[in-house]
Amino acid sequence: MLRLDGVGLRYGSGPEILRDITFAMRSGDFYFLTGPSGAGKSSLLRLLFLALKPTRGTVNIFGEDVGHLTRNRLALIRRRIGVVFQEFRLLDHLTTFDNVALPLRVAGKSESSYRRDVLDLLDWVGLADQARAFPPILSGGEKQRAAIARAVIAKPELLLADEPTGNVDPILAKRLLHLFVELNRLGTTMLIATHDQGLVRQADRPILHLESGVLTQQ
Amino acid sequence: MKPGAIIPSNVASLRSLTVTMAVMSYLACLAIGALILVDRAVDAWTDGLSREMTVQVRQVRTADITGEVEKARRILEDYPGVVEVQVLSDSESAKLLEPWLGVRALEGLPVPRLIRVVTNKGKNFDDDALADRLSVVQGVYLDTHQKWEVELTRMGRALSVLSSLILVLISLSAVAIVIFATRAVLQANKPVVDLLHLVGAYDRYIARQIDGRFVRTGLVAGFMGVAMGLLTFLGLSLTGVGGGGGFASASGTLLFAPPAIAVWSYAALFSVPVAATVICLVTSRLTLLRLLGSVL
Repeated sequence: MLRLDGVGLRYGSGPEILRDITFAMRSGDFYFLTGPSGAGKSSLLRLLFLALKPTRGTVNIFGEDVGHLTRNRLALIRRRIGVVFQEFRLLDHLTTFDNVALPLRVAGKSESSYRRDVLDLLDWVGLADQARAFPPILSGGEKQRAAIARAVIAKPELLLADEPTGNVDPILAKRLLHLFVELNRLGTTMLIATHDQGLVRQADRPILHLESGVLTQQ
Repeated sequence: MKPGAIIPSNVASLRSLTVTMAVMSYLACLAIGALILVDRAVDAWTDGLSREMTVQVRQVRTADITGEVEKARRILEDYPGVVEVQVLSDSESAKLLEPWLGVRALEGLPVPRLIRVVTNKGKNFDDDALADRLSVVQGVYLDTHQKWEVELTRMGRALSVLSSLILVLISLSAVAIVIFATRAVLQANKPVVDLLHLVGAYDRYIARQIDGRFVRTGLVAGFMGVAMGLLTFLGLSLTGVGGGGGFASASGTLLFAPPAIAVWSYAALFSVPVAATVICLVTSRLTLLRLLGSVL
């Protein structure tokens, strides 16, 4: 499913943010990625959701070396990955419904084919009455839930989440964890970067710890 | 529920592009109008000149000029392809010189006699053979106006090339402006474009979301330019601005010519919005694909 071999990353001519990262995830794995702020968690996730190329080493996802993919192939790989961004990245000019439906729309599906699924998912994350609302009027927690809904709507094979419970209350955090566990049970491979030790303890899943750019498994 | 536009519709750089492209289209309209007017004027002038010629008969000491003129007239009337022969009287010939020499200076001067000849401009009309036949007339000179025709044609061709060059320059400027605007639109929508990439959009899908705006901009700006161009020609034809009735009437014929001719003028003028749309579509699409291809 996912394999990194001797991956290093630096921005421009700055110091190396990630050093000799080597790890693999099999289909159906569920890992937490922990580490102090600035350790490189977000950079590692950016490598995995193909927003960056490593400065050295290889990243292999779904059996393909991402360094040698055509642009169209890269797009198809990205459709198999769901991403929850730390800063949500919702589009302010689209309604919550359209934001959540974006991956399906980009994949060429018609509105009538995904309408029910999107409304059901919005209902599940507690945003049914905000379907027509625009992100600027949503609270931080609502934006977080909309971002999670967008990441999972296309039933991705791999879900990468950067602090997915950072802006929600403990009750909703528990519900979201339940959603992640349920998705994982249905076959989605999960990697969740978080500071939330409570969440990590509740889930009782293996942990990848990143510190000063070096990854260790706990 | 109709999905909202993925790229925000309120893009300031496209408003500036509309204004600039409208001005470009207007200038293109003027250049095309000038091209048509020059082409028609040169056609009309050269047509008149090539159908007409003048025979001069100068007084030769021993010859009877009236008899020589008569001899020339008979040769001309018998010559195949000549449809009209008009012998100008002494006074008519002298009148042509009056503006330059005055009435008094002409008294006693041996003013050549002129014969105006109109031909059918057939392909087989042989000027040299006619000159050869007229050579039996003493003091004769056949002026075919060929020199003027060549000069006018050369001037017309130069003006046509100039207008075409202006059209090319306008098109190149339009391409450069569209490239600039495309970059601006892409930059303004970078977060949206980045997100679309990350959720798996193909470059051509993203390009389609954006270049539709450029197509509309090109079409609207093109029609604005043509409308302004037509109003300008209408204004010129009504007011006679630009140096007199000739230019005004020429502008008028551009708009109000008989349908068989006008259809070509209008087709040429309305090719401007089509060209503006094509320039916007092709340039923005190629620029977008190039720029999108340069990001991961």
